[in-house]
Amino acid sequence: MTVTEWESLLDRTSFIELDARERAKALLDEGTADELCGPFDRIESPWLEPQGVVPQADDGVVVVKGLLDGRRVVVIGIEQAFQGGGIGEVSGAKIAAALSLAARDSRAGTPTAAVLLLETGGVRLQEANLGLATVAEVCAAVLELRALQPVVGVIAGALGCFGGVSIAAGLCTTLIMTAESRLGLDGPEVIESEAGIAEFDASDHPLIWSIDGGTQRVRTGLADALVLDDVTALRSAVAGAVRQGVPAEHRSRRIGELRARLEAVDPAHPPAPSELAAVWGRPAQSEGDQG
Amino acid sequence: MARTKVATRDWTRRRTAKRDRLERVRPFVSGRVLDAGRMGAALEALLRPGDRVALEGDNQKQADFLAEALAGCDPQAVHDLHLLISSISLKEHLDVFERGVARRLDFAYAGPQSVRMAQLLADGKVEVGAIHTYVELYARMFVDLIPNVALLCAEQADRDGNLFTGPGTEDTPTIAEAVAFSDGVTVVQVNEIVDEVPRVDIPGDWVDLIVRSPRPFALEPLFTRDPRHIGQVEILMAMMTLRGIYERHGVTTLNHGIGYDTAAIELLLPTYGEELGLRGKICRHWALNPHPTLIPAIESGWVESVHCFGGEPGTERYVAARPDVFFTGRDGSLRSNRVLCQLAGQYAVDLFIGSSLQIDGSANSSTVTEGRLSGFGGAPNMGHDPHGRRHPSAAWLSLLTGQAPALRGRKLVAQITQTFRSGGDPAFVETLDAVPVGKDASMPIPPIMIYGDDVSHVVTEEGVAYLYKASSLAERREAVAAVAGATAIGQEIDERRVGELRRDGLVALPEDLKVDVRRAKRSLLAARSVEDLVAWSGGLYDPPARFRTW
Repeated sequence: MTVTEWESLLDRTSFIELDARERAKALLDEGTADELCGPFDRIESPWLEPQGVVPQADDGVVVVKGLLDGRRVVVIGIEQAFQGGGIGEVSGAKIAAALSLAARDSRAGTPTAAVLLLETGGVRLQEANLGLATVAEVCAAVLELRALQPVVGVIAGALGCFGGVSIAAGLCTTLIMTAESRLGLDGPEVIESEAGIAEFDASDHPLIWSIDGGTQRVRTGLADALVLDDVTALRSAVAGAVRQGVPAEHRSRRIGELRARLEAVDPAHPPAPSELAAVWGRPAQSEGDQG
Repeated sequence: MARTKVATRDWTRRRTAKRDRLERVRPFVSGRVLDAGRMGAALEALLRPGDRVALEGDNQKQADFLAEALAGCDPQAVHDLHLLISSISLKEHLDVFERGVARRLDFAYAGPQSVRMAQLLADGKVEVGAIHTYVELYARMFVDLIPNVALLCAEQADRDGNLFTGPGTEDTPTIAEAVAFSDGVTVVQVNEIVDEVPRVDIPGDWVDLIVRSPRPFALEPLFTRDPRHIGQVEILMAMMTLRGIYERHGVTTLNHGIGYDTAAIELLLPTYGEELGLRGKICRHWALNPHPTLIPAIESGWVESVHCFGGEPGTERYVAARPDVFFTGRDGSLRSNRVLCQLAGQYAVDLFIGSSLQIDGSANSSTVTEGRLSGFGGAPNMGHDPHGRRHPSAAWLSLLTGQAPALRGRKLVAQITQTFRSGGDPAFVETLDAVPVGKDASMPIPPIMIYGDDVSHVVTEEGVAYLYKASSLAERREAVAAVAGATAIGQEIDERRVGELRRDGLVALPEDLKVDVRRAKRSLLAARSVEDLVAWSGGLYDPPARFRTW
């Protein structure tokens, strides 16, 4: 990045510094936010306390309905400060239900798009199978809604989006990332502990970001927009994605293209991360693509 | 009779020994340059059993190639060495003892190796002379611990042995001086041998032998703190420190210890400090390493000067671009010097503030915890009231002490900590772990880092205790208890008594300092991530890879 871009960082209001509730509200038009199933409804996970974890009254997921540039949206935010954004039975059900309700409203003549704020390590270990089952429901609900209205994913922070939830991210109509954010199925520590440090060194930050980082994901077309971690910039990127509506064909349906990509890579001699965009026939985008 | 004896004494034994040693390594040397491939054999030729060897293990840079070669020496040939190491950082520093190459050790700090250090001591593999503070250990190299050989490290050497250390000069000139002028032998590992060094940090005639290390020496970014990990409690404590100590006493010259607590203070200067109108009134002159978290304060005009103990990886270009603030050489890069900066931190600054791991009821503090023999490093040099100080300053005089005519000011020594550390361990304890650890290690006195009677202020999330105002030990204990929160120490005092201490000015809570607790948020930090620090530096700061999240 150039010097002037670094300086512009200082004039921004960081999006990821806000908690999930503030983030959801920051995206919506002033005075239109209406939280569903909030902390005072006290719908919390029954599985944490027996395992010595203090539960949270919203189970770490915030659902807020409102208007974005006058269009109806539901923002679903995962709070990364609670259990590393891990999804459990209740929080997963909240996400799936909110998406399904948006689909029902859309079918009933009130088009409602969804925005997913995906700061999560994936399924919460304490709720293993229940969490996995609920992630399947989330994916099904994304598929249900995206046929009717756009589902916009945002990954803004260095924690990133991993595990089962990364599959939901892959299903989004549009995926927006920052340079600090990461996206991957298995997190670096998981790969290192399963396959050894020679396969993936989880302490090597440049390596991790060269593969999972927002810049690389956008460059290789696995995410759509690279935006500065700034409330105004992210809000305008999300609003733009909602405005674009439903595409003719979602990325996850372009099976032929994805298969060709897999075939272009020889696992025995994988390309360097910097070469991947070229191997996949996408010209590398310039570094200045910072929104 | 006596006269005859005196006349026969040889006054040049050290010089003769040096000539002899250099003669023995001649097969391994061309000019002054040793053959790196035969370093072990060269050391076996150079060293004699029982030699006192200063091995450069600094707080940051490490003569790792020489340490490795020493650890690999044949214990039949080289044994019973007495090592002087200021900071035991590498595995090889202790391998030397395990293999029987060395037996005796004098050191200052063993942070990264503190567990193994305690184990070797328990196993009788190492005899510890003493655990020092940094300046103490260097000082003894000129008095009763003069080394026979020094194993040092530098960035570059020319063929005449002139050394360029780069920004991390640290301890090298001091050790080199102790050895070069006592007819010892100095051996220096360098990353590169060049025709001309960019600047001379140590003149060639202090240097006997150089060797080109197959890889650059190890250097740790010890002083980099990622602002992402600074939370609301650190911010609250930083706000109270700024109002209750820096503003109240008018602190213009200071040193900060390492940690998120002090990093938070650095990052509040351009925001909260600016709001309070304190720029130019506090924090103008520093004895401090180039902390990346100080960049925003420097850029917004708070900082007039910084003298450094050592460098910090990633800050090279930034420091070189700010020569009015940092000490730099003719080549443009930072010149640091640990012993001089320690002296500055001892005599020339009005305030030292550092984090502690444990504080007892009398405010004695220690970073020694069970099973670890971590040593002292430099904190006690700065964390005490030096009775050799004579120059006055407003801050120093604001803690006036003594009976007329023997009045004197006092150094501000502040300890900052949350009442409970992460993991739920109380920071305030009845008995410091240092007491049993000292006993187990057969130390004559417990290894206390900072003595309670030197501590002038304690800051916690509860408030500030002004211990210098206490008129008795009992009152000091009460003031500590008043800010010790829900720990056992904190429960020793009742509310009514806390009220009296507040009225008498021994304790201040946030409201007494006009600190609005609700404002203690991360948005108050001038930089909230390493990217922000890079931005503040105008792209001049190059954070080490491990701190990059992009």
